[in-house]
Amino acid sequence: MILRLAGLRFLSRHPLQLLFGLVGVALGVAAVFSIDLANESARRAFRISSQTVTGKATHRIVGGLSGLEESLYATLRRRGVIRTIAPVVEGYARVPARPGITLHILGVDPFAEAPFRNYTPGTSSGADIPRLLTNPGTVLLLEDTARRLGISPGDTLPLRVGLETAHVTLTGFLRPGDEVTRQALETTAVADISTAQELLGRVGRLSGIDLLVPGGSEGEKALSRIREILPPEAEILPAGARGSALEQMTRAFSLNLSALSLLALVVGMFLVYNTMSFSVLQRRQLVGTLRALGVTRGEVFVQILSEAAVLGAAGTVLGLPLGFLLGKFLLGMVTRSIGDLYFTLSVREVSVTAATLFKAVGLGTFGAVAASLWPAHEATSTPPRDVMRRSAIETGVRKILPAISAAGAGLIFLGAGVQLVPSRSIPLSFGGLFSIVAGYALLAPGATALLVRGIQPALAFAFGTQGTMAARSIPASISRTGVAAAALVVAVATTVGIGIMIDSFRRTVSDWLDHSLRSDIYVSSAEGRRGPDRTPLPPDLIEGVSSAPGIHRVALVSRRTLESPSGYTELFVMRIPRESLDAFRFRGDSAGEIWEALRAGAVIVSDPYAYRHERNKGDTVRLRTDRGEREFPVAGIYYDYSSDQGLVGILGETYDRYWDDRGVDSIGIRLSPGFPADAAIGRIREIAGDRPVLIRSNKSLREASLRVFDRTFAVTNVLRSLTILIAFVGVLNALMAIQMERGREHAVMRAIGLTPRQTWGLVAGESAVLGLVAGILAVPLGAAQALVLIQFINRRSFGWTMQTVVDPWILLQAVALALGASLLAGLYPASRLARSSFSRALQEE
Amino acid sequence: MSRRLISGLSSLCAAALLASGGFLRCAPAPPPTSSPPSASVTALLGGDDPGGFARAASPRDFRFPDDHGPHPGFRHEWWYFTGNLRAPDGRRFGYQLTFFRFALSPAPPVRESQWGTNQAYMAHFAVTDAEGRRFLHFERTGRGALGLAGATARPFRVWLDDWSAEGGKASTLPIRLQAREGKVSVDLVLDTARPVVLQGDRGLSRKGASPGNASYYYSMTRLSTRGNVQVEDGTFPVEGNSWLDREWGTSALERGQAGWDWFALQLSDGRDLMFYRLRREDGGTDPFSAGTLVLPDGSSRLLSFDDVRIETVEFWKSPESGARYPSRWRLLVPSERLDLEVVPRLADQELRTAVRYWEGAVGVHGTSRGGPVEGDGYVELTGYGETGGR
Repeated sequence: MILRLAGLRFLSRHPLQLLFGLVGVALGVAAVFSIDLANESARRAFRISSQTVTGKATHRIVGGLSGLEESLYATLRRRGVIRTIAPVVEGYARVPARPGITLHILGVDPFAEAPFRNYTPGTSSGADIPRLLTNPGTVLLLEDTARRLGISPGDTLPLRVGLETAHVTLTGFLRPGDEVTRQALETTAVADISTAQELLGRVGRLSGIDLLVPGGSEGEKALSRIREILPPEAEILPAGARGSALEQMTRAFSLNLSALSLLALVVGMFLVYNTMSFSVLQRRQLVGTLRALGVTRGEVFVQILSEAAVLGAAGTVLGLPLGFLLGKFLLGMVTRSIGDLYFTLSVREVSVTAATLFKAVGLGTFGAVAASLWPAHEATSTPPRDVMRRSAIETGVRKILPAISAAGAGLIFLGAGVQLVPSRSIPLSFGGLFSIVAGYALLAPGATALLVRGIQPALAFAFGTQGTMAARSIPASISRTGVAAAALVVAVATTVGIGIMIDSFRRTVSDWLDHSLRSDIYVSSAEGRRGPDRTPLPPDLIEGVSSAPGIHRVALVSRRTLESPSGYTELFVMRIPRESLDAFRFRGDSAGEIWEALRAGAVIVSDPYAYRHERNKGDTVRLRTDRGEREFPVAGIYYDYSSDQGLVGILGETYDRYWDDRGVDSIGIRLSPGFPADAAIGRIREIAGDRPVLIRSNKSLREASLRVFDRTFAVTNVLRSLTILIAFVGVLNALMAIQMERGREHAVMRAIGLTPRQTWGLVAGESAVLGLVAGILAVPLGAAQALVLIQFINRRSFGWTMQTVVDPWILLQAVALALGASLLAGLYPASRLARSSFSRALQEE
Repeated sequence: MSRRLISGLSSLCAAALLASGGFLRCAPAPPPTSSPPSASVTALLGGDDPGGFARAASPRDFRFPDDHGPHPGFRHEWWYFTGNLRAPDGRRFGYQLTFFRFALSPAPPVRESQWGTNQAYMAHFAVTDAEGRRFLHFERTGRGALGLAGATARPFRVWLDDWSAEGGKASTLPIRLQAREGKVSVDLVLDTARPVVLQGDRGLSRKGASPGNASYYYSMTRLSTRGNVQVEDGTFPVEGNSWLDREWGTSALERGQAGWDWFALQLSDGRDLMFYRLRREDGGTDPFSAGTLVLPDGSSRLLSFDDVRIETVEFWKSPESGARYPSRWRLLVPSERLDLEVVPRLADQELRTAVRYWEGAVGVHGTSRGGPVEGDGYVELTGYGETGGR
């Protein structure tokens, strides 16, 4: 009881310490929770929407790039192979009146739907179906969605599908049976298959045919009978595998965000450590007295840990709402990035699951307890008599400092060694990274002491006795300053690491854009949109542009997603002249040799593709063509940063032999020397008419690409800022603790004649020295983090090869950050000290 | 014949039931347990606006083989095959294969997509295995587009998925019927020398007082049939007689009508009898009830509602729907000196499809002009099971 009261009294007498501890936990928890929320909400939204669309289907027959010939469905029905089949035509349409809303158009045949999906019109209004069938352009929406779009049954809604404007009429409402389905359908418009075909410009084609086959040999028999009928471009894919292949694409992306959020939490835990060790320190006499009175070690230990648990829990309680708000904000960014990089996803609400909540609460509470283990141990392991003496601790710490440093070095080696393990595991790399960070943190006190000793002469020279005093005080109280330094080092290094990583990446992409964007003007159909819903440019436009005056040469390219049992492959189809190949940077080979190989029917693969699929020059890739599966030799590997899934590049002439689709997504135009770009753009605009075609100059495409890049790293930058904030609070906390603790020492100095101004200078100087040292120490760790992030984690996550660019500015920034934070942190204790009456401080003893 | 109620229901099946409980409850198998009650006949038909559709207002010239094909301007139409068959070992089978066509709007939509259509099809397939005491029935729906379902006159063909009735290359007859669902199938060839029988007034069959409340209706009352019937315990070569009813129209049910009992009997004296009794909600017989007696030479005689007397001798209550159906009748045509007892081959021949009704094989015995007579036939009972109706 006394113990508990003592703990409470202490904390209430040091509200700032308490506050900082709370802030540390709260921010750390908020970081983890918000990223988790954003990731999980995006994943859940994807999962339920794909499950809802899949319904009870066990398989789907998918076709080539333009889907399936619709007559296949009729053939399957008439042959009576299997009754539970349903045709599907899907696509996306934007709502011009509500930017940001993309509707998923799901076209189905009501007559075939019953075994598959159950959310279509309910029992109330029987009139929906005839209207859907007989009135072109009619759709069903959720009542909520209709309200959100401001339409009621009978109203028309203008849509934009690719380049075309279309109108749909709301004829009724979808009636989902449960809440999950309702959420999944928030941006889905169900239409009759005829309407969907017309709306999406897919007349005559199907996106797929859903199958429901029984399990076991009966199902297998049915599937093989269906296979006999299928044309070569068609393939039967298990329904579950399709969704998870898509989901898999975003896995590395989410994982990276999660890991970085954990880093923020680790920094937050330093704050807890500080708070707790400070509180233990402050009570060392009390603890000593209690111990002398017969309170057992265990009791003291438990008491300290339970204080930490309360602190952790309270911080978590504060952190959760903060994380929730932050998560809501981040969700938009994450969804946007997924849309930029992978596929269209619409998520409106963050969904808090028990798992995310549990994880955040657990990390907050147990993290706080774990961070207090050492202070608790320290308080209880020294004999009662010694606990009451400050010097005992310092002596103890100094004694074990070499051991701690050795352990730190060991962890660093371990972490580095892990990176060299020939594995592609991303968690392993992150584990190694954490090990390096932890090892370095252990190394920090020792290194700080050494460094300070190193710069002591310089300080003595510059500031005289005071400089020497400021420098000496740090190693003298290394048990405190060391931790503060470690916290500061880790926090600053993390910002350095992430900073260098983003910077290197951006530089790499920017160099790549410089190299590969060789045309003067780019014309494309849709911005940043991938996948099957990518709209080709109208043929008359291509023709018109190609024959416009002032055009030196054109490169026609398109990206097509092939779906196969092993996942998705992105094909980059190039209808380009030889010169355009110079825009590619190949690993090793010359463009000339590769051109010959490409003309002979080979393909080139992008660096991420080669990494993911372990392909080298001379290997082959298997692609599902409209003529069945075919092998293509790999002529070379090129650098590309537009897709982390990797691309397979193929010449148009080869492509045309194996695929029937002739669509072109974008045109790169090289103008005749001297021909004014504005005139050419004006002419193209004329040809395009009112079709919303994107016509961009080299410069604006480059800028747009970098904007997408920056968007992708927006979340990472938020995390970086959060880490900086936690680091700052941490330094503030640690330095204040040190200075307050040394109140008596300073009072003595005052008593022996130091002016308030001199005392102020001493304290501020100490802070500055600590900040400077930490800032310097953060640089190598930051560089190491960047190296691991760039060379291992990004490579493993996204398959990218990046240059490592170290901008000295980032390093300077880091040192400045550390120095600034320390100085700021020193201000308050310094001024308090300067103002305080030393006699009172002395009396307190 | 006034299966228009079915049609009425069915066109609303196409409309309402397609829409209910998922896109379509008209699933291949009957609902496993007590499904929600089918929609009420009168309620469903009451609010139906026939505006814009072609109407059967006056007698017309039937032209064959064209009229064997579809009449898409009318709201509903059907090809109704029923028959009694016998295997060499004497095992009796009844079968029904019906194709319904519904126009969901008066005019076909002008669409780019081949899927666009205003024609919907529904088909019912049932086999009565009298010995095995089993009644197996199935339902399908589909759109009249893309070759999924449809009908043509030249060559004659009506189909839905892989269920079909198909004529010869040059002539409508013989007609081959094929339907399979799991282990139940029929593959039959139907042929006849008898001419087509125009029902009612030169093929115009009136169902109520309001003008246009009628349908065009013709029959082929005795089609000799041979082929194979498959049920779960094997495939049986069979022979027997089938009956084809063809009807199209746009009529709605008159106020006060509750349903009908329809009889199609093939007698051993060579005569075929068709009679439908329109039941009123008050339990009486509607004066528009009518029928036809077809003689062996193909000539026929109209029967008005007071020519025929029908007494229900027994009832059967469906354990599934709870509906109480008449299940044994005495049918008298005094002017023709016919006194027949009509007995279902199985009591339970209720089709638990989207629209619930009873359609089953029956046996007939009695006297004709004083001498003994027997026969086979089919009976259809509607308006019993639906809630809200009778």
